[in-house]
Amino acid sequence: MFFRNKAAVAGLFLLLGVILMTFLGPYFYDEDPKDIVARPLKGPGTEDVPGLGTDYLGRDVLAGVVNGGLTSLRVAAIAAALIVMIGVTIGAVSGFYGGVIDNALMRFTEVFQVLPALLFAMVVVALFGPSPWKVSIAIGLVLWPQLARLTRAEFLRLKNMEFVKAAQAIGSSDLRIIMRVILPNALPPLIVATTLVMGGAILLEAGLAFLGLGDANEVSWGLMIGQNRTNFITSWWTVTFPGLAIFVTVLSFSLIGDGLQDAFNPKLRGR
Amino acid sequence: MKRFAIRMLWSIGLVLAVIFLNFSLIHLAPGDPATVIAGESGAGDPAVIEQIRADYGLDRSFVAQLASYVVRVAQGDLGDSFFFNQSVVSLIWARLWPTILLVATALIFAIVVGVLVGIFTARRPESRLSHSATILALAGYSMPVFWTGLMLVILFASVFKVLPISGMRDVQFDGGMLASWVDVGEHLILPAFTLGFLFLAQYSRLARASMLEVLQSDFVRTARSKGLSERVVVYKHALRNAVIPVVTVAGLQFGTMLSGAILVETVFNWPGLGRLAFDAVLRRDAPVLLGVLLVSTLLVIVVNLLTDVVYRLIDPRIRVGGAAT
Amino acid sequence: MVPEIETEASSPILEVRNLTVTFGSFTAVDGISFSLHEGQTLAVVGESGSGKSVTALSIMRLVELGTRGRIESGEILFRGANGEVTDLVQESEDAMRQVRGNQISMIFQEPLTSLNPVYTVGDQVAEAVMLHQRLGRREAKGRALEMMRQVRIPDPDQRMGQYPHEMSGGMRQRVMIAMALSCDPRVLIADEPTTALDVTIQAQILGLMRDLQRTRSAAVMIITHDMGVVAEVADQVVVMNQGQVVEAGSVFDIFEDPKEPYTRALLAAVPRLGSMAGRSDPAPFDLVAP
Repeated sequence: MFFRNKAAVAGLFLLLGVILMTFLGPYFYDEDPKDIVARPLKGPGTEDVPGLGTDYLGRDVLAGVVNGGLTSLRVAAIAAALIVMIGVTIGAVSGFYGGVIDNALMRFTEVFQVLPALLFAMVVVALFGPSPWKVSIAIGLVLWPQLARLTRAEFLRLKNMEFVKAAQAIGSSDLRIIMRVILPNALPPLIVATTLVMGGAILLEAGLAFLGLGDANEVSWGLMIGQNRTNFITSWWTVTFPGLAIFVTVLSFSLIGDGLQDAFNPKLRGR
Repeated sequence: MKRFAIRMLWSIGLVLAVIFLNFSLIHLAPGDPATVIAGESGAGDPAVIEQIRADYGLDRSFVAQLASYVVRVAQGDLGDSFFFNQSVVSLIWARLWPTILLVATALIFAIVVGVLVGIFTARRPESRLSHSATILALAGYSMPVFWTGLMLVILFASVFKVLPISGMRDVQFDGGMLASWVDVGEHLILPAFTLGFLFLAQYSRLARASMLEVLQSDFVRTARSKGLSERVVVYKHALRNAVIPVVTVAGLQFGTMLSGAILVETVFNWPGLGRLAFDAVLRRDAPVLLGVLLVSTLLVIVVNLLTDVVYRLIDPRIRVGGAAT
Repeated sequence: MVPEIETEASSPILEVRNLTVTFGSFTAVDGISFSLHEGQTLAVVGESGSGKSVTALSIMRLVELGTRGRIESGEILFRGANGEVTDLVQESEDAMRQVRGNQISMIFQEPLTSLNPVYTVGDQVAEAVMLHQRLGRREAKGRALEMMRQVRIPDPDQRMGQYPHEMSGGMRQRVMIAMALSCDPRVLIADEPTTALDVTIQAQILGLMRDLQRTRSAAVMIITHDMGVVAEVADQVVVMNQGQVVEAGSVFDIFEDPKEPYTRALLAAVPRLGSMAGRSDPAPFDLVAP
């Protein structure tokens, strides 16, 4: 079903492309993105200048694009893992137990929901330092509420169903019911949400890097754009290509997420 | 009425929670809280540090400090910025309105155009325009908003030189009141479009899905069976039902919009809260950052309350709070 | 082989001839014919999927809007107020809009979802009147109030300003009837009007419909799967199965002397009063009426 959706398959290929470029690219194109290779701010196609031009320091833009993905993907992946762990746990407990626990947890969630995401991440990184781990944690802290709400909604919907009562009747422990009975059935929308969250995490990481809050020692796409801001109007290649890379990566996640949602929920396609 | 009062109370509680969060962040951050508050500019000067210690009572117990902090905030004192040499509140106040202008314009643009596109693509799902619109929509929310902004700046700076690309006003401006408004308006177009485009994508998809569902419902069939023209059926009967999810989502996403505004303001040099936050981050100016965080959160809470009100206005089912059998 | 109903002296107000309706490759209605006369109630009976609702929607030419339905062939002859007979299948969409809600009205099965939740009941009833009779807002509202009274809604002044979710199921169906009759249509099509209602309310609604019909000499086409409803309100009956007309005749003929096995099976699904008399234990009903 998923594979019939052309856009979704395109997304899958795009993502594969990005991953291949990120992990294998540096072997095939082994210019060091931090090396100064030519005169600064020379466009693509100019003599003595590598593929996509040079940035404000004279570094290779193509090398930056090829290598920059690693940081972004790594940070986003760790953040996504955090988001899923925190969000699903809180959502599951809240939805399953209901009552006072649900109320308390939802209030707690609401506090994090009203904080504007990027701003809060900025504050955390500004105060605690921009190491990649801290950035991942900051992003995780900011995006988990959506996943918690979704998990909670699914649990509320599923917990009154027959198969759950059956499991309770044979004496399964709460933990077992949550993890092995309800959760597997809640997976489809959670998987969709996770792919979309990955996209969001990448955008957030890029935004932070752009603002100068990423790890300054590692090359990342957002950082490239941020560093080349002063001359970008005349040296468009310094910001266009890294941005394109971010766009393609996030787009691939969006397409995949969309395709998954379609596959799980054909009604929404509309005739 | 009672429910609204409860929500107001809870909202105040939320604000208190955020204040507590701010306070905790200062103390959890590595380094001496006084240095944190002083930021890069003040930290070098021991006299400043001493002053801070006295003002914030940093030698007292945690609870006492928290209490005095809450009291200060409640009185409208968010501290001072050592870099800007101004109180945080005055800094924020000056930048508040440009941000609100930007975000409000972007929001209205995104909702109105998004819904119109959604209606169109729902009614003619097979047309080529619909397919393009859907793809564009998907692209829209996958683009980093600062990149979209930069691309637009390049476009309008080098190719179509018709719109200003930086700031909120012309530096050499010298006209009257009306002309001044026009000037701001011109400067507003690109940033508002950039910010709005991000959400336009999402709202059009939501409106489309919602409209498709509503067009299949029984009451639309009834409306058609009364002999109403398709136009009336769509714009009078279907539309009001279909916008409900869009309005709800738009309201809930205000926080995300503020985040986007930070990036857009930075790219376009728009003198709002976002730009202020960016400047503060560069200087590690904690009081300003935390002040902006608090005010932004406050805005989000207010907008959430407003969304609830609007939602109730549109959907009468929610007003009374329950259906008869 | 399509059985024909004996035509009465007056010519029919609505005559369906050899109607075929498809959804893609699926034929929902396969060459059916029947007719409807003024003052008469025709019941179209059958199980779900027999094509009865599709027939109704086709008469209104609603089957093509919003679905993949297509009227492949056939005629739907309608005798308008001026005596002229037109074929509704050939009419333009503009012309059909003059007919809908005005000369032919329809009410549906689920009154809650069939009414727009965001507008008041009064507004929705007045809408058709404003459109077809070109009345101003106030006059239309007056007419709507009058209609609400005729369908016996208590406290109609107050009810006009209420929303559908604030009313009970029976009340909502009355509103639907008020809406449908507001422009004095010549034909009323009712698609399972009582299926979603309690049995006692059912009786009230059917009684109301009968009374209203008598005062207006409109023709009513009622679609149902419930033979009990047929017995109560119908003059003529058309039995449908899998898109075709199986049997047709007066209600007395159908009930007393059903000719087709399918008709008999439908009738057998309704228990006969007294068939359990004299038994102390429960017993299965006969599958086919004797």
